[in-house]
Amino acid sequence: MSVLLSALFLLTAVSGTGVALSRTPRQQVLAMAVNGMVLALLFMALQAPDVAFAEVAVGTVALPLLFLVVLASTKMDRSPRGGDP
Amino acid sequence: MPRGMTPRARLVLFALAGLCVLPGVMHVALHMPQFGAHPLPYGDAINAAAPGERHLTNMVSAVNFDYRGFNTLGEEFMLLCAVTGVTVLLRGQRGEGRSAEPGVTPGRPIPPRSDGVVLICHLGGPVILLFGLYVALHAMTTPGGGFQGGVIIASGALLLFLGDGYDGWHRMIRSEAMDACEGAGAALYAACGFASVLLDLPFLQDFLPLGALGDLFSGGLMLIENAGVTLAVGGGFAVVFGKFLEETRIIPEAYKP
Amino acid sequence: MSLLPSLLPWAVAAWLLGVGLYGIVTSRNFVHLIGCLSVVQSSTYVLLLSVGFRTGGIAPIFYTHPPGTPAVDPMVHALVLTDVVVGATVTALLLALILQLHKRRGTVDPEALRPMQP
Repeated sequence: MSVLLSALFLLTAVSGTGVALSRTPRQQVLAMAVNGMVLALLFMALQAPDVAFAEVAVGTVALPLLFLVVLASTKMDRSPRGGDP
Repeated sequence: MPRGMTPRARLVLFALAGLCVLPGVMHVALHMPQFGAHPLPYGDAINAAAPGERHLTNMVSAVNFDYRGFNTLGEEFMLLCAVTGVTVLLRGQRGEGRSAEPGVTPGRPIPPRSDGVVLICHLGGPVILLFGLYVALHAMTTPGGGFQGGVIIASGALLLFLGDGYDGWHRMIRSEAMDACEGAGAALYAACGFASVLLDLPFLQDFLPLGALGDLFSGGLMLIENAGVTLAVGGGFAVVFGKFLEETRIIPEAYKP
Repeated sequence: MSLLPSLLPWAVAAWLLGVGLYGIVTSRNFVHLIGCLSVVQSSTYVLLLSVGFRTGGIAPIFYTHPPGTPAVDPMVHALVLTDVVVGATVTALLLALILQLHKRRGTVDPEALRPMQP
């Protein structure tokens, strides 16, 4: 197995661990985006360009956005502002 | 009331379960075939047959849309079900909130959008949309297809939200149109299968002219199936994004959960 | 080839599964829990793509290479490709459930939830 593949496998293990062990959800979203990027690189090295395209778009754009929206929505005050000055 | 498990007890249980599973995992890992050097009978059969039989050069699309096209129909309907589930769970403000104010997080002001962000989004959005279309169109020849293309198109559309805000997103991306895309895509894929049945062929059997190997529009029926997947995935993700972005807006006064 | 590098893909897949499950078990926030679930999901991608890999094989695209060149297995690529995309919408469904939970119970902590009283 080539050095590149070994390094990417190890990097995948590290970034996946980072996602699972991150303390707060907000840190986790960033770790998740990094993990998506590393997974896409690994898939590229494993000769799977189709999967790498999908993983880049899903792992670094779609999923982090959805998680960020949920985090924002659970923290914010969404009551009507009618009575406020 | 039955008490739940304490976190410590749960961790101990997890460690015990891990210890029980570990020998099995070790055994399997040590007896896995050699990485990168074992026979791949199914893949080799497809690689050998598909360029001649189906006139396309992207084997992944050959598997997705032809050899195991029925599985993809199932995946398509899983996507439809998940998107429908999101829509049902997050309903409640239908028709409301087209230009609704953003909700406020205590102690955190909303900064105005900078010109640089707007410029980058206006320049980058169309490029990403075009790239998504390119990827979706080249399903039969080079790496690409409806699944990847659809996701890239939807994430390009997200730049509209980043650059023009919630109003701009809603002005340009009608949720009704996206709902229609999502449903029509799934229906188009199923219709391809039933068209084969009507012509007295097995479900999803290709009956259109296959075209020349390496041509952008080779592959016959697979092109229509690919268009269906692109519509379903692009529309589905746009619906999901729209529904989630609605969740950062102020709830209208009339709405009661 | 020594034993260690040829074990690496399977070890990484098993490690991702284990560490993702550990994250799920110890999570105090449902949003965080779903992030850990995505790590578990990625372990299956690593396993499947490693099974279908062939040293020296090209990607299963015969556009510039003539058909017949030794290539990796397109079957697992198709499996993983559809799952990456469909899995994202299923994750969105789970997140929508959590938004509803937060609206109704005001919390996203699994420990704070108790069985519903009749």
